[in-house]
Amino acid sequence: MTTVIPFGPQHPVLPEPVSLKLELDNDVVIGALPSLGYVHRGLEKFIDTKDYNQTTYICERICGICSALHGITYTMAVEKLFDVEIPERAMYIRVIVGELNRVHSHLLWLGLFADGFGFESLFYECWKYREAVLDVLEKITGNRVIHSISKVGGASKDLTKEHIDLILKMLDTVESQVKDLEKVFINNYTVKQRTVGLATMSKQLAYEAGTVGPTLRGSGVHSDLREEADWDIYKDLGFKAVVEKDGDCYSRTKVRVFELYESIKLIRNAISKLPNGEIATPIKGSPTGEAIMRTEQPRGEVVYYVKGNGTKNLERLKIRTPTFANIPSLLLTLPGIKLADVPIVVLTIDPCISCTER
Amino acid sequence: MLKNTIDAIEMKSSADVLKAVQDAKNDGYRYATMICLKKDDGHELIYVLDKDYKLKNLRYFVKPGEKPKSVSGIYLCALLIENEYQDLFGLTFEGLAIDYKGHLYLTPNSPKTPLA
Repeated sequence: MTTVIPFGPQHPVLPEPVSLKLELDNDVVIGALPSLGYVHRGLEKFIDTKDYNQTTYICERICGICSALHGITYTMAVEKLFDVEIPERAMYIRVIVGELNRVHSHLLWLGLFADGFGFESLFYECWKYREAVLDVLEKITGNRVIHSISKVGGASKDLTKEHIDLILKMLDTVESQVKDLEKVFINNYTVKQRTVGLATMSKQLAYEAGTVGPTLRGSGVHSDLREEADWDIYKDLGFKAVVEKDGDCYSRTKVRVFELYESIKLIRNAISKLPNGEIATPIKGSPTGEAIMRTEQPRGEVVYYVKGNGTKNLERLKIRTPTFANIPSLLLTLPGIKLADVPIVVLTIDPCISCTER
Repeated sequence: MLKNTIDAIEMKSSADVLKAVQDAKNDGYRYATMICLKKDDGHELIYVLDKDYKLKNLRYFVKPGEKPKSVSGIYLCALLIENEYQDLFGLTFEGLAIDYKGHLYLTPNSPKTPLA
């Protein structure tokens, strides 16, 4: 006999509201149907009343975790419309803040994930370590959550010597803390018992399901937009994509743990190569034409489409966020697993519902 | 005319879209997203597919009243974006794998087709 039960929209392991209707045979899931719409804000419609510069602030407010990268991607898309090159220093500043964004996002996720299987002390540790990153972001950008580092034409704030010293000092501390976390997330008996072999997605399935980011790379697919031409600065910084091949919850966790080291390395390299000079190019006029810009957010590829018609307001802004791409994979991975494991599986796509619904 | 547009292959019919999407999948492309634009009295759909960081875009004009075919039978992940455009633009996709019937985001009391 089958039973249908709701998972969410309010659930202890869900930081944001999303609902899954789970069809169960005893305690085994045989079907799942996602239900959205709890935080849909219609931000793509909001551009009707905001000009293309003001829209930067809207994009940053799509999500409180990857706000910097939303702003960066949007401004890069509009810069494509203007066909303008921004100063190199601005690109480096964007990379530094973007990677700091990724570090605090992954630490946040690791904490939520630990909380998902009841490892409360690990949750506390992850979030405690994350605080140091947020403190530095507040000092260099003026805000813990909405950093507003990017504007059309470059960076909105410069990094001073004092900022750089703060970042480097914090990275030394956080790197050593991540090593401690790694020991637990990679080797701990409880973590492995709850994640190894769970909700396995093959390389082909993950690719065809349209997944992105650590969810895709955790299935052995080498895909990270930081290797893409629009972000060629990453090549100079020695970026190497983190890929794990087993495709299970453990594998997706490993990708995020090891990406922390990669981000720390990138920030250090970016600081060591940070060029002098201007941080922005003046932009005049109104955008015209259409452009697609993609970057790698903490949760994976984000796609921005912008269309300008020669007025201050964009005609169309379309944003495809990483979680939007990862949610359909749950339809494929949840069937066959036990109800008690549903929170673990859902969390391993690192769901961001504010992003998804915009 | 817009000066800088994205490279896209023009599709003549919804059946052509299905075939091109199937061919792209067979050729190793990943479904990235679909963009919907208002155009004249209808809508323009841009299917965005990715392979090795390179995009292939398919552009198709949906005539007023036309029901484009869903590609969710080829790429299951297309179901969310197609349902989104049913909500926001009032389009109807034929053959959707899961059809929320205009209520992916919107409740019965929400504004109807707010981007249309």
